[in-house]
Amino acid sequence: MIRLDLDLRLAHFPLRVDLDLPSRSTAVMGPSGAGKTSLLETIAGLRPGARGRIEVDGQVLLDTAAGVALPPERRGVGWVPQDAGLFPHLSALDNVRFGAGRARGRVDAAIDALGLEPLLDRPPARLSGGERRRIALARALATSPRLLLLDEPLSGLDAALRDRVLPWLKRIRDEWDVTILHVTHHLGEALALDDELVLLHEGRVEGRGTPIELAVRPGAARSSTTGLENLRRVRVAAHDAAGGITLVDVPGEPALAIPLVAELPVGAEATIAVRAEDLLVVVGEARGLSARNQLPARVVRVVRGEGEALLECATPAGPVPWFVRLTPQAVAALGLVPGAEVRLAAKSHSIRVVG
Amino acid sequence: MSDWFPLWLSVRVSVVATLFASVIGVTFAYVLAKWRSRWSSVVEAVVTLPIVLPPTVLGFYLLTLLGSRSPVGGAWERLTGSPLVFTQGAAIVAATVSALPFVVRAARAAIVNVDSRVEESARVMGMPEWRVARVVTLPLAARGIGAGVALGFARALGDFGATVMVAGNIPGRTQTLALAIFAESQAGRDGRAATLAGVAAAVAFAALLAADLLARRRDREGR
Repeated sequence: MIRLDLDLRLAHFPLRVDLDLPSRSTAVMGPSGAGKTSLLETIAGLRPGARGRIEVDGQVLLDTAAGVALPPERRGVGWVPQDAGLFPHLSALDNVRFGAGRARGRVDAAIDALGLEPLLDRPPARLSGGERRRIALARALATSPRLLLLDEPLSGLDAALRDRVLPWLKRIRDEWDVTILHVTHHLGEALALDDELVLLHEGRVEGRGTPIELAVRPGAARSSTTGLENLRRVRVAAHDAAGGITLVDVPGEPALAIPLVAELPVGAEATIAVRAEDLLVVVGEARGLSARNQLPARVVRVVRGEGEALLECATPAGPVPWFVRLTPQAVAALGLVPGAEVRLAAKSHSIRVVG
Repeated sequence: MSDWFPLWLSVRVSVVATLFASVIGVTFAYVLAKWRSRWSSVVEAVVTLPIVLPPTVLGFYLLTLLGSRSPVGGAWERLTGSPLVFTQGAAIVAATVSALPFVVRAARAAIVNVDSRVEESARVMGMPEWRVARVVTLPLAARGIGAGVALGFARALGDFGATVMVAGNIPGRTQTLALAIFAESQAGRDGRAATLAGVAAAVAFAALLAADLLARRRDREGR
């Protein structure tokens, strides 16, 4: 449980946050410069100008009214800054050992949890971006923190690397007794990892809720570098190994075909993502289309931006709208207006499992 | 060439002075690097003065400060029973003050250049600031500090003006290499002056080269 009631002067606006975060894992999203990093640094004790109160699991870290301000070294938090902040003059192993003191068991457990054994002899200069994040994560875990502050733990990693680091984060969330607060620019990351999502805008809380609730709000889409994605919680219905597909049930929709994910057992829950630009809009009869997935839908809204248009479409029983990004030219050519009946088509390979 | 006293004296004075200048200079540099106040610029300018002042001006101030009639010089005399000026001790003070700004400036720049993220990481991991300085900041700034120390040593070795003012030019007692070269040259013993000059150049060159090689080896081993 994290309780925050903070006021910090930033360059362009004050950061004012009043939040109780009961979740094990909370994501903070917002446009660049919204104050996300400052929020984490304030909790870590690196912003001496902050006023207000910070409480983590009942321990008061800051209470300016009562004259309490623990220095960073006594806050018991783990911090993984954006660039990992590894000690360049120490080997990976010495980095992980650095803050652990005599808690060698913790060091071994952290090394084990993050699969670092093969990297331990190397200096940070000879580690890849993803490896550095994992070392930084292990280093923070080895200090037995109550709270883990992760500043964009997956930023700067390409999609393949992200997919490799994300499972480690999930493992930490599930197996270590630590609360996680992390800043992210990826909706997919929040969906995969977090129970709760806080949207920050110009220093203020603009919204909070479960990631899936917020994913369709413009605020979340605006701050996600992965663009607007259609995300759904799904349940694995069947595998067709020969056909190379897995069928998943989506609440209120026909089953969708996605590329085979044999490692997910039938009945398992997962989150899938389809980028708004990867959905096709079909008007009238669509015959001989290779896309395996077709959903009947109705256009609810047409939002025109600069050089692009966004459709909000509703399926008959689906609880959440689907977003489609098109060119204005396509909107005009197809005569897409609110109320138009269409079919949304998605090829299996445009659907990714993100969590 | 039998009398190598000026060489040994110079080496001894510069080594001791470099040690003093390193300890004082790195401490000073650390405080200046971390202290965010406009006064830090004033303090740094004062510390840098010995580089730009004529060494004789520096020597004059030191003489004023350390002479028997000054509080500092007087206290020294009461404590040790003999005056400080015109001794090897005074030569060490002159060399220390000459070397100090080189150490302070290089070390301050190196400390400021250490990635603050890395230092903050260490703080959050449970280390108080003095330990962060010892195990993170100073090791990461070592290359720059080393370069400053090497320059400081070379400067201490070569000092003439400040030394002659406070330590005098007493053969066999305070006559360092730089002073001996002047004395020999004045006395027309050009051969001996040339030999001593060659030795002075060689020692300074060796010190700078050694510092650079150490820094290179450090870079190869880690980072």
